[in-house]
Amino acid sequence: MTKRLTFTTLTAMMALTGGMVMAEEKTLDIGVTDALTGGAAVYGLPQSNAVQMAVEEINAAGGVKVGEDTYMLNVIAYDDKANPTEATNAVRKLIDRDGVKFILGFCCSGATGAVASFIANEDAVMLVGNAAERSITTKEIANLTRTRPPADYTGAAAGTFVAQKGHKKVAVLGALDVGFYASYVDAFEAELKKAGGEIVTRESFGLKDRDMSPQLTKIRELQPDAILVVGYVEPAAFIYRQAVELGIDVPRYGFTSGSEEQFLRVATSEQMEGVWDLRPTELTLLSASENGVAYHANYTEKFGIAPSPSSPYAYDQTYALKHALEAAGTVEDTAAVAAALREMPIPAEVVMQYLPVDGKMFDANGQAYTSNGAFQWQGGNWVFVQDLPSDAAAYSAFLSTID
Amino acid sequence: MKLRVSHILYAAALVGFILLPQLITVKYYLHLSVLALVWVIAAQGQNLIQGYTGYVSIVQAGFMGIGAYSTTLMGLHFGLPVWLTILLAPFVTALFALFAGYPSLRVKGHYFAIVTLAFNLVIFIVLMHATDLTQGEAGISGIPKPGREGGWLDFANREVYYYFVLIIAVAMTALAALIVRSRIGQTLIAIRQNETLVGAIGIAAWKYKLFAFVTSAMYAGLAGALYAHYQSFINPEIFGLAQSLDAILAVIIGGSGTILGPVIGAFVVVFLPEYLRFADSFRLILYGLLLVLATIFMPRGIVGVVGQLWARMAGKATR
Repeated sequence: MTKRLTFTTLTAMMALTGGMVMAEEKTLDIGVTDALTGGAAVYGLPQSNAVQMAVEEINAAGGVKVGEDTYMLNVIAYDDKANPTEATNAVRKLIDRDGVKFILGFCCSGATGAVASFIANEDAVMLVGNAAERSITTKEIANLTRTRPPADYTGAAAGTFVAQKGHKKVAVLGALDVGFYASYVDAFEAELKKAGGEIVTRESFGLKDRDMSPQLTKIRELQPDAILVVGYVEPAAFIYRQAVELGIDVPRYGFTSGSEEQFLRVATSEQMEGVWDLRPTELTLLSASENGVAYHANYTEKFGIAPSPSSPYAYDQTYALKHALEAAGTVEDTAAVAAALREMPIPAEVVMQYLPVDGKMFDANGQAYTSNGAFQWQGGNWVFVQDLPSDAAAYSAFLSTID
Repeated sequence: MKLRVSHILYAAALVGFILLPQLITVKYYLHLSVLALVWVIAAQGQNLIQGYTGYVSIVQAGFMGIGAYSTTLMGLHFGLPVWLTILLAPFVTALFALFAGYPSLRVKGHYFAIVTLAFNLVIFIVLMHATDLTQGEAGISGIPKPGREGGWLDFANREVYYYFVLIIAVAMTALAALIVRSRIGQTLIAIRQNETLVGAIGIAAWKYKLFAFVTSAMYAGLAGALYAHYQSFINPEIFGLAQSLDAILAVIIGGSGTILGPVIGAFVVVFLPEYLRFADSFRLILYGLLLVLATIFMPRGIVGVVGQLWARMAGKATR
């Protein structure tokens, strides 16, 4: 009896020990390529930080459980300056030299488009964040997903909102040589026209321009009912400030996704008062979910600065990847992980308020959709005022028709 | 023909380039080598106008853009085969260069540099705003590779593309050497040394300058076409002012007015920023600092420094 017990105990111990050996703790490198310097760093750096923060949270919670193994994540981040060649080089380096199979980040459309053009041929999965150019998810690339909805998805909702406000003559001032800003305005105009409105002028500025008074002076002469500003945060902040300085007293709408801190570097809160930002329902403290509030607090504590509203796109990518790896049960088979991404429901940890399509986070094109929201600057903060009309399923069907 | 040390060095370098893909274990470096070879072609063109003729042109990346977009658009809209569009791209670029060069070359020195800089800006703005044609900032993706799918040579394979670009880079370098050694090349050097004197002896210097400018643009157009079909994606950002300055730097760092200089310089401007990635956000500051120091302390470029060292060593040996 004793012998049998000993034998049984030994067998059990061996099995347990064997099991422990099999369930090794390993490290999985994931890559980030983003604009960490230059003009687009206002979007890229917070994204990179967000991935780093999510990884630390995941590791602290026990890592990623893939089959028998547990993986701790390690981030390798490279700066692409939002430049297509730099982004290509960075991704080549991640894949070829560092052996990375999962690449996150991608704040900006030009650089993202360059990588998207070859990623289908690589043994890797690409998770796009803030880059809003529509064509990124129209090519049916199986190993690419994107958390941010395309710009025209939001532009159409914004056009409807502004038309409902009763504005008929809208002047546009934007970085219109940037493709996704132009597509936002096109979709905006289409909806405005349906309500009998019109865009009276389309004035453009460069991303490095800071004095927009000539365009604003022209706009003032046209006496529009409202102005629409689309562009990066800093030039947009100058426009809002200069519009006040020039005495333009009409509602100001925008599409910028800048945080309070980013705007207050250029304009005063008084100059910003009443400005609308019509964008995906990104992180704004006053409208955030529990996850959003926690994200804001943790990010601020870790990096000493508030997160930009669009940065959770990258944070959410990281959690989406974690769940996809666990669902696929592999870190080697990138096709299986890419397929798992397309099949997954919305993870509980995400910050943005995604609208599922057929119960899934990403549609067949690899595109996720958030709701769109109207935010207004009130007393020094972006305040969520209302949802904008957003039909994710209809847009997803439309996206599938584009070649 | 007498066999000189330089000939042995050229042969050794060529053997090194041929063996490179076999020596490289990480394909990322092969990718950078392809880009560097593309830049060798662009820099050889830049060297003709800047190094040999003495006119600093700040439009080389703009001309690369014209080459890249012309090969892409001819393929997309007219269904021309990739080989043909690559061949035609330098000639399309030459037309633009002829148009730009005629007025630009009426001015000299800094004024010429500023006029060409303005042309680069114009090219960039047109590429950005002619969205119906160029798709603006979003860029054009899916640009096909040369050859047929499943054909004898798979140009999607980076090694194959490397050898393809290497052959063209060697041919264009040899062509540049031939031009420099010809009567035309000697006239270009004479213009660099003393343009007034060249005019005084009855040579129409403007014709030679225009030749150098247009040829330089053709080199850039070819480089742009090769870049487009390699990356399969182009947008205007790639052909901006910063890239034109890279072409100038490649010539200065490598050795202005030498045949080997642009080859070395092109590899430096492609590889150095990549090697400096360890410095994170200080990378570009470090890159800029290194280039400033190199320009100050090596005005004749790497080829000049090596040449001086070689001469000293040879001098000691003969003493």
